[in-house]
Amino acid sequence: MLEINDLWKNFRGMPALKGVSFRVERGQIYGLLGHNGAGKSTTLGIILGMVAPTKGDVLIDGISIQKDRGRALRKVGAIFEAPSFYEYLSGWQNLKILMNYSGPFEEKLAREVVDRVGLTKRIDSKVQTYSHGMRQRLALAQALLPEPEILLLDEPTDGLDPEGIKWFRDFILDLRKERGMTVLFNSHLLAEVEQMCDRIAILQGGERVFEGPIKGLAEEQVRYEIDAAPTAPMSSLLAPYGGVVESEGVIYLPRQVDPALVLRDLIVAGVSVRAFTPKHRSLEDLYMEIKKEHHTTRSA
Amino acid sequence: MSFLAQLNGEMRKLFARPRTYIGYIAFLAMEILILVVYKLDRTQAYTRKQLQNNGLEFDTYYSSLSITFTIMLLSMFVLGSVFFALVAGDIVAKENEDGNLRLIFARPITRLRLLLVKYAAVCLYTVSFVFFVGISGYVMAVLAVGWEGGLFVMEPKMKVFAAYPEWAEGASRLALGALGIGFSMITISSIAFMFSCFKMKPAAATIVTLSILFVDMILQNFPFFRPYEEWFVTWRMSAWLFLMENYLPWAKVLESFAFLLGLNATVFVIGWLSFQSRDFKT
Repeated sequence: MLEINDLWKNFRGMPALKGVSFRVERGQIYGLLGHNGAGKSTTLGIILGMVAPTKGDVLIDGISIQKDRGRALRKVGAIFEAPSFYEYLSGWQNLKILMNYSGPFEEKLAREVVDRVGLTKRIDSKVQTYSHGMRQRLALAQALLPEPEILLLDEPTDGLDPEGIKWFRDFILDLRKERGMTVLFNSHLLAEVEQMCDRIAILQGGERVFEGPIKGLAEEQVRYEIDAAPTAPMSSLLAPYGGVVESEGVIYLPRQVDPALVLRDLIVAGVSVRAFTPKHRSLEDLYMEIKKEHHTTRSA
Repeated sequence: MSFLAQLNGEMRKLFARPRTYIGYIAFLAMEILILVVYKLDRTQAYTRKQLQNNGLEFDTYYSSLSITFTIMLLSMFVLGSVFFALVAGDIVAKENEDGNLRLIFARPITRLRLLLVKYAAVCLYTVSFVFFVGISGYVMAVLAVGWEGGLFVMEPKMKVFAAYPEWAEGASRLALGALGIGFSMITISSIAFMFSCFKMKPAAATIVTLSILFVDMILQNFPFFRPYEEWFVTWRMSAWLFLMENYLPWAKVLESFAFLLGLNATVFVIGWLSFQSRDFKT
């Protein structure tokens, strides 16, 4: 449904994307993860034809965005972080104006979508009176008009309260279930991506450093908090497993290593272990591991 | 995708913004002021003397049509240009600054089409504003001096002098003049529109446009630039005055309007090329 082929982008000579490629299949929810400046928004900008790539191409259902932007985007709806509407117009007028850029305004369809996102009562109020959550619902409504096959979401839950985040997540999951909607989801929050996506790509410094299914990625704990003494022999005991002491009280073990074996070796060697708990894995941890793995692979 | 529906949306946006109405309010206030001064004895005496010196009757030409012409002549170029530059300078740059363009760019519309819709909206606004000034000025003048009377036109710089004793003839010529002003004022809007397409703040687009216009006007008035006055944009923009002459000099009018049309098309293309080559990051 969406093919990103070897995207390169330089801004004033500075590389922002370095050969990013990935593929989103029909009906898939795909997460694009990365910190600010990783290249997520640039990738999204290229997909929408807002940014011209230095090299590479984007195909939406086989249509090149560079060659035929108009036809390619007929199947696309997009939401941005902090969407900007015309504040001095009502939600309904905003929808009408935006929809007219895609095709004829279909009032019945628009009413249905507005109802579905729960904005019926406030749709005739000016947008300047909307809360952040309501704006995000309006953004969702405009993205769903006129009935796209693929949704591009750029940090859509930023600034939403937990209730709003849950509503948004459930809404997207329902859309996929009912319509088989394809979704590309930009985020810097691993937990959020985990709950929605089937597959992810991680960008760092404009490079794709990971691509694969997300299932079980967070559960595969590789970092542990340890309260033990003495600490001196720990490094040499972890080395045969490929593990290291990362910082005081934190050890790293490769994914395939069974922590029970390591624990046993530590105790047999006379290390007194008072606590040993898997550490919550942040996006940062994931980066570090992936970088380490890349480094190890390259060295090998 | 209907161009008219998109244009309707642009016009709706334009007229929903409070700042769009600043110009209307300013002009209404100015028209009231001009009318008050026009009613003063000293002004009437001056007008009477001027008309009589030209062999014309005060009772025929001290009229709502003549007052309307004066209002349009004096106000449009200086005050009107500020509002046209403000609105046209905003139309692309402000939407980019506010982030509205992102939502439009997520739609299957080409940048050229988007600019054409916005440019059409700016042109429509410009012409409708000129007619608003003309009609509101006329209505106020009618309230002040009555509807009857002819039209007296005098503009020494462009060497235009004309008198229409009949109301109908004067009114139709004034309407033609208003069309001419509208067309001339589109040039200001076009220049501001071009800057609005560049990577600059909306206020900067307005200021740069007005600076160009005022520099052009000042240079045009330098004595040693006189032989070259026809090369100045502001001189060409004043060519609508020829439409007020008793005998219509079509060649002169069309020459200047063709110049302005060419200029408008050129600045639009430059603005489009700049807009087309820009990256808009989300």
